[in-house]
Amino acid sequence: MRKAERMLRSREDAVDIVHALFVDLIPRWGRDVDLPYLYRSVTNRCINAIRDRATRARLLEREQAAAAPVARVRMDDVVVGVSLIAQLAERLDAGHLEVLVARFVDDLTQEEIAAQLGLSRKTIGKRLDRIRDEVIALRGEAA
Amino acid sequence: MSALACIGEPISWLRLESMALGERDLPAAAHLEACAACRTCMQAIRTDVVALPPLRVPEKIASRWAWRRWAMPVFGVAAAAAAAIVLLVVRPGSVGAGEDERVATVKGAGEVVIDLVRDRDGAIGMGAVAQTFRAGDRWKVVVTCAPGAATWVDVAVVEQGSPAGPDYPLTPVRVACGNRVVVPGAFELTGPRANRVCAVMGVATAPARGAALPGEGVACMTVRPEPL
Repeated sequence: MRKAERMLRSREDAVDIVHALFVDLIPRWGRDVDLPYLYRSVTNRCINAIRDRATRARLLEREQAAAAPVARVRMDDVVVGVSLIAQLAERLDAGHLEVLVARFVDDLTQEEIAAQLGLSRKTIGKRLDRIRDEVIALRGEAA
Repeated sequence: MSALACIGEPISWLRLESMALGERDLPAAAHLEACAACRTCMQAIRTDVVALPPLRVPEKIASRWAWRRWAMPVFGVAAAAAAAIVLLVVRPGSVGAGEDERVATVKGAGEVVIDLVRDRDGAIGMGAVAQTFRAGDRWKVVVTCAPGAATWVDVAVVEQGSPAGPDYPLTPVRVACGNRVVVPGAFELTGPRANRVCAVMGVATAPARGAALPGEGVACMTVRPEPL
């Protein structure tokens, strides 16, 4: 739930995400469910929530008032929050967004992301480069 | 968002969560010794009491004729409920006074309901299972109010029957309204008597300390000590 709240900046929405996840998981309990699996599931559900226009508007509205979590990893001095993920969700596919969240919200290293997603570190690096390009493009458009 | 500088590559939240669950990670532990930023994150995990509310599972749809089996008890319960409603209307305030103490009306934020979360050696309890305390329990206050508003919350603890005034274990904080928003910080309850834990609330500024409890904008719950 902490992870979902860190992404969405809303405990209420984090509770909804985790409840829905366990509702889906409980009938299939017994499968190999560990913390990294739960992290990935929560990431995907949070990305879907942010992609949903109605939910996104509500989250962005609440982000202003929400208590800000600690950030240790930043993208070119930009702290990755709901608004940036929402903007990038229009430009990037789910695979790139998952890497974005793993690196800049969960603070995973490239090696850890590669291991978690079952991809090579080179692929992770390429995805991060693409994400960085999109952030630069967004800044250019905003300027 | 507050940004903290790590001395090297930050320990990921996933590794910190694993360590908080008891996993041994010597390189990460060594990093935490040296890095204040990562130590702050670890502390945030350890002090956060996550209370996932129980999920209500909808009952299965009954079969076509099953209603007959349940008809008599249901009518009986309905009749009893109707009688109870009549009694409540005739004698308002005679039942549920203790429950109402959890609810306060705060000007600008509307109705605010408080609840207490108890952390006993890692076992998180809330509601009916969190009405007693013993030494070592850690307590947190959660508030529920309509999203969009915000309120200041100052937690006051009063030992019942004690001449001493209220104790304020936490720093007043402004929280954004929502469903079961956790007030930052945790505290312990001590002593042989029941404690009333109150949330003193106000919208514009942090509430003044020393006001009478309960009062306007104050919601309280009573927690009793467990027998030794």
